[in-house]
Amino acid sequence: MDYSFWNIAPIILFPLGAFVINAFVGCKLYRKGDFISVGAIFASFLYALRIFKDVIVDQHSKDFYVHKVFTWFDLSVGDFPFKIDMGFYIDSMTATMLLMVTGVATLIHLFSTFYMAGDAKYGKFFVFLSLFTSAMLALVLSDNLLSIFIFWELMGFCSYSLIGFYVEKEAAGNASIKAFMTTRVGDVLFLLGILAIYNIVGSISIVDIYSALAMGSFEGQSVIGVSALTFIAVCLFGGTIGKSAQFPLQVWLPDAMMGPTPCSALIHAATMVAAGVYLSLRMYPVMVAGGITDFIALIGVITAFGAATIALIQTDIKAVLAFSTISQLGYMVMGIGVGAYNPSFMHLITHAVFKACLFLAAGSVIHSLHDHHTHGHVQEMPRMGGLRKKMPYTFLAMLCCTLAISGVPLFSGFVSKDRILGDALYFGMVHPHKWMMIVPVLGFITAGLTAFYMFRMLFLTFFGAPRDEEVYNHCHKEHFSFTQNFPLLLLSLFTLGVVYSGSLTGLGKINIPVVGKEWFSTLITMPKVEDFTQREKVKMMDSHLPEKFETSHYHVHEASEMTHEEHVLHKAHSIGAITSIIIAFLGIFFAYLMYISKGLNPAKWESAFSCWNKALKERYYFDHFYEKILIGKGLHGFNNALAWFDLNVYDRYVIDGWEIIAKKIYLGLSWFDMKIVDAIVDLSGTIIRFFNVTLRTMQTGRIQFYFVVLFLALSGYMLLTRI
Amino acid sequence: MLVVAIEKERTFEKVAIVSFLTILFILSALLMLVSCLALLLTKNIMHACTFLLAALLGVAGLYLTLHADTLAVTQVLVYVGGVVILMLFAVVLTGGQDQESITKEKFPHLAPLFGSKSTFLKAFLVSMIFFVAAASLLRLGEKEIVHVVAVNYAPTIQSLGQLLMTDYLFAFELVSVLLLGALIGAALIARPMKK
Amino acid sequence: MVSLSSFLFLSFVLFLTGLMLVLGRKSIIFVLIGLELILNAAALNFVAYSRFVTEKLDGHLFALFIIVIAAAEAAVALALAIRFYQLKETTHLDELSELKH
Repeated sequence: MDYSFWNIAPIILFPLGAFVINAFVGCKLYRKGDFISVGAIFASFLYALRIFKDVIVDQHSKDFYVHKVFTWFDLSVGDFPFKIDMGFYIDSMTATMLLMVTGVATLIHLFSTFYMAGDAKYGKFFVFLSLFTSAMLALVLSDNLLSIFIFWELMGFCSYSLIGFYVEKEAAGNASIKAFMTTRVGDVLFLLGILAIYNIVGSISIVDIYSALAMGSFEGQSVIGVSALTFIAVCLFGGTIGKSAQFPLQVWLPDAMMGPTPCSALIHAATMVAAGVYLSLRMYPVMVAGGITDFIALIGVITAFGAATIALIQTDIKAVLAFSTISQLGYMVMGIGVGAYNPSFMHLITHAVFKACLFLAAGSVIHSLHDHHTHGHVQEMPRMGGLRKKMPYTFLAMLCCTLAISGVPLFSGFVSKDRILGDALYFGMVHPHKWMMIVPVLGFITAGLTAFYMFRMLFLTFFGAPRDEEVYNHCHKEHFSFTQNFPLLLLSLFTLGVVYSGSLTGLGKINIPVVGKEWFSTLITMPKVEDFTQREKVKMMDSHLPEKFETSHYHVHEASEMTHEEHVLHKAHSIGAITSIIIAFLGIFFAYLMYISKGLNPAKWESAFSCWNKALKERYYFDHFYEKILIGKGLHGFNNALAWFDLNVYDRYVIDGWEIIAKKIYLGLSWFDMKIVDAIVDLSGTIIRFFNVTLRTMQTGRIQFYFVVLFLALSGYMLLTRI
Repeated sequence: MLVVAIEKERTFEKVAIVSFLTILFILSALLMLVSCLALLLTKNIMHACTFLLAALLGVAGLYLTLHADTLAVTQVLVYVGGVVILMLFAVVLTGGQDQESITKEKFPHLAPLFGSKSTFLKAFLVSMIFFVAAASLLRLGEKEIVHVVAVNYAPTIQSLGQLLMTDYLFAFELVSVLLLGALIGAALIARPMKK
Repeated sequence: MVSLSSFLFLSFVLFLTGLMLVLGRKSIIFVLIGLELILNAAALNFVAYSRFVTEKLDGHLFALFIIVIAAAEAAVALALAIRFYQLKETTHLDELSELKH
């Protein structure tokens, strides 16, 4: 396939065009133009499929890449370069992400036509969905950090718009602002990282960064006192923390559930939050070189564990899913931290599929349950129960996905999560600090918790006697509808493990016709930075591929002679696999005990851990801390201090001081005006008055006075001329 | 006839004989001076007219000492007999108010120049003395009178008449027209106002 | 003894007296009296010079004319004085300080 501009760009341009059309004329179109959005994303899916086939199936080389650039602007002056290039970068990771995003997005678009039907702002939903998908696809295709950032922010905006979609709910508006602001904190760090990179490397293209790493441009550089690489790595990871809702910025994701369910499915499960992990994956060499992998692993595992514990007591079905998303994202980040590059990416893909399916299923449940009193939908699990019979298709989808997320073998989640846990165990075993064993230990515990709360959700919703009779009776029996059920079932099909591998452990035996085995676990490889020094960039509109690229193929791990390291790795993976299976089943068993067979009493457990329970209900007081203390006391206190300074010091002395100065100037000038200028003006009057007085005295009208004057004048004249 | 000695202004020779003219001069001068002084000091307007009359008579006498006989007579006729009478009539017709003594009256309108009348009088005296002193010192009026003026006591009237009719005829006619105008004018001005 | 300077002195005295009456007196009649004195002083001057400086009688003639004119002027002036009195009921000269009657 020839990777010309017109083979790649339509992936972005179709949804973008759908956005433009729907934004401007959508409300006038038939059915508000939803078919344009759906059609556009489906077309993108076809293009992505084509690229996927070419890259993964045909080429299947870890060195295959397509890199096309164009110059955005070039403001270089003299020998001060200032040039930003943008472009596409396609390798196997890109191709996989493209396929996943377009596939899941198409199904969600389809589901939205069912879910949002009847809503007053039906068309607007599709406008935002199209914009969002185009931004996400552009992010995946982009080759430099700046355009990643641009589309990152654009997705943040779409998330903001969609969370606050129900404008009549004030809580939704607050949640959307909270989401935007929290991710903003991460974005600022991300931008700092970009600036630091540009300063050192001179370019923000990923390939250039890798080659700079290989060439050692970062040696000896330091930014504000710390080593440059550490700083950059921390900053870039800060972006991930913000966008992927890691500790400590995880507070926005649960509130983001105020948005419509398809939006939650697309944005807050599958794509946008995955963008953070995607960034970390791309910048993995920088993270490794910066030496913060331990830190990343810790953050990831803390997030995973904390979110899992909070999910244990949630009663809103979407809240459970939100916390489970945070927890799984924590897994992915932990995976990056422990060095499980491939498994993290695999988990990203599989999680996207089953989490989207879970959200859509939850949406289906919510949509079917009407509350006739509030005229709204029911989201609270205490009011559900026994819906298995009424909604069989939804139940089936949800069951598959729940099994996947719990890490039960034969499903996709097991394939990826088991690998992460195995690598975490290996990481803990070989790490110099023995206390880093906490990472895999917590990882396993979290796996158990995940199984438990997901099955708790399933049992509470679909099993048992209905807890709210009225709601149950009004729920319609589900018929198979294309837009409602087809996405669910298709997605749940992809949660089956056989798709990804043919075996229990995921060391697959499925052969790709051309290249051989293990297609999923060899989709991508950890990039070796040395390889990137020779990479070529082609101009955007050129249609030929770079001539020089190697097609070194993946080789399957064959254990002929294992080194000690590989031996430990194998051991770790084996232990990890067995442990995760055991823990998953333990979790399911506990959930069964509590909610089906009523062997254990949940209430008793709650009261036993009452303090911890309260903390969980308050979500570990993070919201309280951020809102009341950090913002309320800290920021507002700072604001008040500045306001006090402004009003009392600046206004009083600087501004009002001018009043005093102006007054003095005024007094001086008015003195000048009155005494001097007026005196000059009066002088004319004075002169005139003087003459007036003297001349007036002369004009007495009395004859004798005139005689005197006359006589004096004459005598004077005579005397003067005669003497 | 008296013989007039040759007089040179430079020498102050006394003449041995005190001639009639000298006595007449002294008397007329005295009369005139006293009348002037009295005019300055009097308050009564009638007295003032009388003193004017006396002064004019004195001037007439002076004319006689200057061998101007026609003039002296004309003076007495016109001035004394005409003008003064006219003034007396005017005094009568204007109420005849008395004036304050010159020394008492102040010159408020002349205040910038003179102050009180006593100041004025003193200034007058001073200036008289000054004039005499200055005149004698600067020898004012001392034209070179070299030739002897032959005095003849012939009556001047004939000569005057001849002069009037020949050299000064034009002036004579004008003056007569002037007198006519003055007559008519005076009569016109003094007519009672039409109410 | 009798010389030109004595006559000049006398005419000066006469002139000064007349001047003082003109300038100093408040009544209009007095002013006219003074005026006469001034004119007489001038005439006296003329005649004195005619006697002591020249043989001709021009001085006499001029003094004659002075007399005539003085008489005419006195007549008109007194007529004016009468008119003034008719208007203002007084002969005080300070009342005569405005052109309007």
